[in-house]
Amino acid sequence: MNEALSQSIPSRQIHKQIKLDNRLFIIPAVIWVLAFSIFPLLYALYTSLFSFRFGRINEFVGLYNFVRLFNDANLHSGLRITLVFVIVSVSVQMVLGFGLALLLNRDILGRSLLRTIMILPLFATPVAIGYLSITIFYEQNGPVNTIIRSLGGSGIPWLSNPFWALVTVILVDIWQWTPFVFLVSLAALQALPDDLYEAAKVDGASGWSMFRYITLPLMTPILTLILLLRLVESFKVFDIPTSLTLGGPGRATEVYSLFTYRTAMRFFDHGYAAAQGFLLLIIVSFIIVTLYRRIITNYETE
Amino acid sequence: MKFSKIYVTVLATTLVVSACAVPQAAPAAPQGAAPTPTPLGQEENVAKEVVAGDLKPPVVAQPCGDNCPFKGQTVTVIVNAAGEKGPISGPFYEVREEFEKATGAKLNIVEVPFAEHFPKLLTDLTSGTGQYDASIAGAWWLGDLVGGDYILSYDQWYNDPRFPQWDFEDVLAGPRSLLTYGGKKYMVANDHDGQVMYYRRDLLEDPNHKAAFKEKYGYDLKVPTTWKEFRDVAEYFNGKDLNGDGKPDNGLTMHLKVGGQGMFHFMSFAAPFVIGPENKNLFWFDPETMKPLMDSPGHLRALETLVDLVQFGPEAMMGWSLGEAWDHFLRGEAALTFTWGDLGALAQQEGSKVKGKTGAAMLPGTNEYYSIPKGQWIKVDSVNRVGNTTGGSWAGVISKFSKAPEATYYLLALMASKPKSLIYAARGWDGVDPGRTSHFLPPDGTAKLDDYLAAGWAEADIKDYTKAYFDNFNAPLQFPYLRIPGTFEYWTALDIRLSEAVTKQKTPEEALKATVADFEAITERLGREKQRQIYIESLGLK
Repeated sequence: MNEALSQSIPSRQIHKQIKLDNRLFIIPAVIWVLAFSIFPLLYALYTSLFSFRFGRINEFVGLYNFVRLFNDANLHSGLRITLVFVIVSVSVQMVLGFGLALLLNRDILGRSLLRTIMILPLFATPVAIGYLSITIFYEQNGPVNTIIRSLGGSGIPWLSNPFWALVTVILVDIWQWTPFVFLVSLAALQALPDDLYEAAKVDGASGWSMFRYITLPLMTPILTLILLLRLVESFKVFDIPTSLTLGGPGRATEVYSLFTYRTAMRFFDHGYAAAQGFLLLIIVSFIIVTLYRRIITNYETE
Repeated sequence: MKFSKIYVTVLATTLVVSACAVPQAAPAAPQGAAPTPTPLGQEENVAKEVVAGDLKPPVVAQPCGDNCPFKGQTVTVIVNAAGEKGPISGPFYEVREEFEKATGAKLNIVEVPFAEHFPKLLTDLTSGTGQYDASIAGAWWLGDLVGGDYILSYDQWYNDPRFPQWDFEDVLAGPRSLLTYGGKKYMVANDHDGQVMYYRRDLLEDPNHKAAFKEKYGYDLKVPTTWKEFRDVAEYFNGKDLNGDGKPDNGLTMHLKVGGQGMFHFMSFAAPFVIGPENKNLFWFDPETMKPLMDSPGHLRALETLVDLVQFGPEAMMGWSLGEAWDHFLRGEAALTFTWGDLGALAQQEGSKVKGKTGAAMLPGTNEYYSIPKGQWIKVDSVNRVGNTTGGSWAGVISKFSKAPEATYYLLALMASKPKSLIYAARGWDGVDPGRTSHFLPPDGTAKLDDYLAAGWAEADIKDYTKAYFDNFNAPLQFPYLRIPGTFEYWTALDIRLSEAVTKQKTPEEALKATVADFEAITERLGREKQRQIYIESLGLK
């Protein structure tokens, strides 16, 4: 029956039908991308070409909002703070998260319990963590300063000093996101083949040698992925500094996203906020692409 | 291996402790009202729990029976989220049944976090959706709301006998000026914000302190009338145990966190350094050019004085919002502060350590001010004191897109009626601060002391409190309230620069220069001439 059917329909027609079916199947995906990626992007581009007054489009200003990006010292400050935040926070998260994964990948007492506890912060809402941290780092009688004082130290101005406020924001972010690095690293470590390690042991390799020449090379792809994910997320950090310090004291913790949020949702300068969004997109894309290419090149060379 | 186990245990313990930390050391905010002033971009940490007491406002509107004027209509009010027993929002729940029975209309109350209120309202108005019939708005929003032609004047209904009657003239001159814009009435009176000074009466009347203070400063310890005296009193009490817990306390407390409304402190504080008999209006901008005036010698001296004062408060207050700053005073850990009426009411609530000890007075002044029009310092014979309406003065405005504007006005007028307003002001927890003749005690007003005592006030406290507010709102000189488009943006800039100054990131001069630069950028963006015209109109100079 099938043979007869295939003989009766020319193969060109069958291919055409399959092609059409394929196209029909991707229509939902195309609609999704158009509606939720392309349209917002184009609308943001359109918005960025206008000035706003009383929350409404006021007049066409061309590229003026993009020119403002270069002259806005407050925006540059936000960018600088974000870079510091990203570099410090992501670096510590990577080292700490991977380190903990290595340690808890061993056979130690209470390993399962420790692993479970370790990932708890990951499930908390960042904005809730921010507000909770106000209490934890409360300077007068918060638990952290109380412990420090009980040990003979003097309380640290966690939230009222520009330097310490940034440290606090970074600490809270590290606390929340280190478990992510830990969790993914641990899963990857457990998937590494045992026979390589057994062979290395037979050859008399030291622990360090096994880490350097087996674990690290095998983990590089997943660590790269984690790094890129954390970089992208960290550049967009908003909840914790907003709920914890609102960008203060002064502008000491006013990260880029908070600055953009204020521009759009507090000052209703939607055109300029859209331009800021594009700048962040370009910066993050550049960093990510550059980093990704470099890492991939190095990996392939090795 | 042993080391790694210890390492893991320490790290894990740290994470566990952090994860499970109970907020035991949270600032123990007192029971009582959340702030009626404006949380700038952040919800406050003050307690929302309220002891409503037995004091209820009387029923003013009678049921309409079969002849309901607004039957089938729905009035939707958007208000800052504080709950059924919370400040500003609470009275709406209380009045709902009475309103619905009197009009046949339904009342729908939409509570949104403060941070979302204005954006949601403006989105509704710019799109012309008309989702909200009324907003219980902050007074500084009027520049945007009237400028954008988004709200209705209620002039046409004010004298209409179909609506509950309330007395516009009953509101004292200071807060009354916020109800109108360009000569038209827009806000229906509700809350009346202004900052006054609070002091610990028991400390200032203590004979030992009096003697010690006189020996140190050469004059009698008394309620400060100038900021210089305020500084002396703050300095004197700083480091002393003020509440008997054996620990040193502070001379003063303020809320100076970015977004913690510190800029309101600066406005009220700076007023007598700039405003005076020969300069009643020029504080923010030059109405001729719309150039900012924020770096005048008067502003500079005010900021230098304020920065100097912060040494007598806890360092932590640089990161404090209203809740923490008030809590510090209510625990008896500070001798002085200056803030809104809510603190006076909170001092009467359970948990307060300063009930019966909280004195209040109009804000101190100066002996000279810098007259911007004359370009020189001018000495005054007595003390230059300036009243203020600093804050939100949260009151109802009616959307231009409302499908039930008359029913909406009915609701707002009902709540503004004298018998209800008196109870609102007396209770305190509902966030309505006093500002009408009918709120004040004789000889300043017509209220009865018993009304306040029934609401739980200590007699000495309420006498000081109402006198302070009467003096503040009735003062011949009033701080010029900014009500132009972008006010929030200007104030945010000032707030951030103020924070930079008090945390020593910038000198006062640098901070004010930076404020001026920020103001200029905002004005340029919004249109200098348009802003200038609205500014002149908002000051009543047109």
